[in-house]
Amino acid sequence: MTNIRESVIETAHLSKVFNEVQALDGLDLRVPQNSIFGFLGPNGAGKSTTIKLLLGLLHPTSGGGSIFGLDISKDGPEIRSRIGYLAQNPSFFPSMTARETLRFVSRFFYRGPEMEIENRIRETLELVGLTEKADRAVGAFSGGEKQRLGIAQAQINHPDLLILDEPAASLDPQGRHDVLDIMESLRENATIFFSTHILDDVQKVSDTVAILNQGKLVAQAPIAELLHGSGSSMYSIVTYGTDVDIQKQISGVPWISSINRESLDGNTHWHVLVNDDEIAQAQLLRLILEDTSTTVTEFGRKKYELEEVFLRIVEESNHDNHN
Amino acid sequence: MTTTIELQPVEERGWRMGLANLLRKEMKQWWATRRWLIQSLLWILIINGFMAFVLFVMPIMMERMPDAASERLDIIQAAVSALFQIGMIGTAIGTIILGQDLVLPERQSGISEWILSKPVSRRSYILSKFFANAVSILVTFVGIPCALGYVLFALKLGAPVPLSPYLLGVGAMALHTLFYLNLTLMMNVVAKSRSVVLGIAMGVLFGGMLLPNLVGVTLSSLTPWLLPNLPAGIIPDVNIELSFLMIPLLFTGIWSILFVFIALWKMERLEF
Repeated sequence: MTNIRESVIETAHLSKVFNEVQALDGLDLRVPQNSIFGFLGPNGAGKSTTIKLLLGLLHPTSGGGSIFGLDISKDGPEIRSRIGYLAQNPSFFPSMTARETLRFVSRFFYRGPEMEIENRIRETLELVGLTEKADRAVGAFSGGEKQRLGIAQAQINHPDLLILDEPAASLDPQGRHDVLDIMESLRENATIFFSTHILDDVQKVSDTVAILNQGKLVAQAPIAELLHGSGSSMYSIVTYGTDVDIQKQISGVPWISSINRESLDGNTHWHVLVNDDEIAQAQLLRLILEDTSTTVTEFGRKKYELEEVFLRIVEESNHDNHN
Repeated sequence: MTTTIELQPVEERGWRMGLANLLRKEMKQWWATRRWLIQSLLWILIINGFMAFVLFVMPIMMERMPDAASERLDIIQAAVSALFQIGMIGTAIGTIILGQDLVLPERQSGISEWILSKPVSRRSYILSKFFANAVSILVTFVGIPCALGYVLFALKLGAPVPLSPYLLGVGAMALHTLFYLNLTLMMNVVAKSRSVVLGIAMGVLFGGMLLPNLVGVTLSSLTPWLLPNLPAGIIPDVNIELSFLMIPLLFTGIWSILFVFIALWKMERLEF
């Protein structure tokens, strides 16, 4: 059964020019409902610009977009009543305490019994681990505490869409871990759209990824599809001894694209790039072992990391742009 | 534990979205802190202190100086000037100094971006600043000192001064203060640096003092620059053409409204 999820965010040729610099160039983005959508790109790629355009904080130069089917240029306040947003460098009133800040934010969304609003605030403070510091002035908060408060205020309204701009950038490893946990816990009821350059985080929590480079969308796919790559696979093989040569068995095979070798710790490490993974899975090891003097100590298909995929895509895009 | 009772979404829609919450927050900055008390005491000290000096101390000093004129009317006129001329210039300076931080620091620190990422219209953001500060400044800078001023005049004259012309003078002072509040608010939205906000607002105030001599009274009556001189005629025995006061009042009102509209127009076009 095909599972086509509705889009929460859709943009069409969304563009932004700042002082003749093309910050965003014809972005066509589609963010499925209830996904954790990782928005990647090098510094200056246009990630924050895109987020600010979606929130109505910037005005598009051309193109447009919609969130929940509402126009980002015309229906800003209505859209934002269903959104939680954490800025890259969140700023709050320094004299307000964390509790007062959440009280202030919650009144943009809710009215109702004060006790219920206070309960909601207490739960949110608990969620981000700020209960102990709830009544301290925000001006005295560390970067990590501000970031936690930022996440708290972004989700105080239980939003349908959470937009987080670099949510874990200023956090220590424990803080990052906590933020990813919070994101996981919210995914059931909300779509999470987050920009980051920490690819490890994306690989841990995202189900869909878009890569932006120099203002252009260069890839958008479910993360599994992106990691699978273009159809080529790399096999990693370790043979015993340094005088073994498996090239005579496998060179000239049409589904093998390249073979690289390196000697390490008395063994030979082989990296074999294949263009037909199905045949390679069935035949590669057999071919190598045809020479009975060869001892294979390790054999496996190399699993791509998002970082490799990201770097390859960005490099290709830079190359295309220069040509 | 999860919240069991459903909270009701706020009902504001369109340009009013976020207005009530922002207005509450702005008003709290004045009335839930000691700011209102400090400002009230400051302006009582400046305006009423000077008035009291003119009304009650100066006559004693003048009696000791046999050559000096000590007519009752002159003392009252001097006190009227203390209230309205010095009061208007003083409150304008105070308004500009307080007003320079209304929006610009929030724009520069990212707080405006944060607030506008909530269900808040840009109009609400500006109007909340305008309403809360207009009410608070008018009460503390103008209302309280003028009410005390009325009592001081009554004590000196032995009877209350006619209320209508006095209120007209107070209205002129309020409008004059509002003009500089709105000018400063507009500059907060239009300009990118505090020195520009301060420079232009102060320039309009002090430049305007010189301008009537250069461009003549007719052109000046289209500005607020004549207002500090006009209420001097509100006390009995000095007649004043009401229409002469009305034109600068009308134009000061028009300018004040225009500044708010420009601030709203520019705010819609700002990027964060």
